[in-house]
Formats: sequence, structure tokens, C-alpha cells
Amino acid sequence: MDKRTTTHFGYQEVPIEEKASRVADVFHSVAARYDVMNDLMSFGIHRLWKRLTLERAGVRPGHHVLDIAGGTGDLTLQFARRVGPRGRVVLADINESMLRVGRDKLLDHGVGGNVEYVQANAECLPFPDNHFDCITIAFGLRNVTEKDAALRSMARVLKPGGRLLVLEFSKPTHALLSKAYDEYSFRLLPKMGELVAGDADSYRYLAESIRMHPDQETLKAMMEGAGLARVEYTNLTGGIVALHRGIKL
Amino acid sequence: MTMDKELLAMLVCPLCQGKLKYDRDRGELKCHFDGLAFPIRDGIPVMLEEEARVMDVDEKLGKTPGAPEHE
Repeated sequence: MDKRTTTHFGYQEVPIEEKASRVADVFHSVAARYDVMNDLMSFGIHRLWKRLTLERAGVRPGHHVLDIAGGTGDLTLQFARRVGPRGRVVLADINESMLRVGRDKLLDHGVGGNVEYVQANAECLPFPDNHFDCITIAFGLRNVTEKDAALRSMARVLKPGGRLLVLEFSKPTHALLSKAYDEYSFRLLPKMGELVAGDADSYRYLAESIRMHPDQETLKAMMEGAGLARVEYTNLTGGIVALHRGIKL
Repeated sequence: MTMDKELLAMLVCPLCQGKLKYDRDRGELKCHFDGLAFPIRDGIPVMLEEEARVMDVDEKLGKTPGAPEHE
């Protein structure tokens, strides 16, 4: 293990042991308005990003799926339909508020028997080795303090042949897009956050944390370092988001 | 609040990946190796070390009289 004592929380340096609780505060604050903010901020495009994730997951009836940092359950809802009554989906999130919003939403959608809810830390997952056919973490890895530990933990609980999909903000591939995106994220996003969720700081954190997150190639190398094979990624919306996929051999 | 049997069978200790014991009376999942009892809140197991109750030595060794444990 390295000997860092601080880590980034957006653009601020905070003690390593403080990051989790700072992130927790962000999500306690935004949980209730999370879905509407996602639609607004991304102009609904986050639905397309998630749909592609779903397609690449290759989940079939009977599969066991783990949706980490699954928050308000968008992916879990679709997985639950695909795995059928013999399959199982575990919605895991470190944040109690997000998990409760997710459970209520899934119940409203009539999802029941094949979904479980667990409050867990991605760095030390409470599941046995070689258990899941597929693991997804969508817009979650960015907020994890020890990303390498989390990727290793995910690789551990994947079955051989199982897939890990990481959907996360990444680095825009064109300079012009990058500039417009910066203007949007640092000027407009906090304003929208303030108007809709009553919280500008959380959405300023969002914009900053995106800039601090490893870019496409770095994340690919991190996944390989965690023991995943055949790691590849697809840039979505000009690299604003990237979908990485790796397989446990 | 009851715990789903299949979920119970699937969960292990997040620290040692060892088996957990379900204490129905206290609504906890216990790892005797690490001496931690993970709470179940509103039917959701909270598998976070910082939220777990630290057992005393007797309880850790399974010597506590009273509350019987269930698998």
C-alpha cells in the first residue's frame, strides 16, 4: 500500500479518512433530486449511456449481477428484468439515502423478489470469491477513495469469465468540446444544482471530481492492474463519458 | 424485520470474507473472527466496518449467555 495521507475531494486535498464522509454528505444531500438532476444535467443522455452499458453487460436469465454504487437503481431495474426469476441482482451502495431512494423506486416499478439491497463499501465487498457473472459500477468509481482496492475487490467477487463494466465520466477527445464542456460544468452546473436540488456545492464537487478522475488509458491500466483481462473502452458523447469493460479469466 | 435467506447465504465478512452468523434477536450479522456485528437497518444489511458494533471478548468467543444465535 502507498503511504499517502491525503486525497482529492474535487479540487481540495482532504485527509484520506475524511473523503468517504465528505462524499456521503454530497449524496445524502442530493439523493431525493438525483434522478431529475441527472436528466437535466445530461439532457437525458445518461439514459443512452446506461442503455449501452446494459447491452455490453450481456446479462442473461439466471445470472447473478452486482450493481455497485447502484444508487437510485436505473441499471438494477433493467438487470432485474433480464435475469428473470432464477437470477439475482444485488444493488449495493455505500450511501444509505441513495439505497433507500433506489429501493422505493424499484418497488414502485414492481421489481421485487430477485433484487437484494446491501450497504457496502466497494473497497471491501461483502461477497464470496467468484460469485457474480457481471458487475457494473456506473458513475461510482470516481467517488471511491481507494480505486485500486475497489477494482481488486470487484475482480475477486467476479466469476471466471465474468465481466466488469465501469461507466464513468472521462476525458473529452476534442479540445473544442473540452472547452465548451468546462464552461458548462463550472458555470452552469452549480447554478442548476442550486436551483433544482438547493445545493450548488455538491454539483461543484461533481464537476471537479470529474476533472480529477483518471482518463481512459489510465483507468484501463488500473483495471489490468487489478487482474482483469481484455480490457477495452468505448468513448461516449465525445469522451465526456467512457465505458470500460474487462473480463476475469 | 426478517432477513432474506438467500441474501444471508450470499454475504460474508467484508474484512476477512469469513462466514457470518445471523443474530435474529439483535438484528445483526456477526463475524466472530473480527469481533464485529454488522447491523441490519430496515431490512438492509449495513456491511461497513465503521458502522459495526465491536463485540467484547466473551461475545467474540461465543460465551455470552442469553441471546441464542441462528444460522
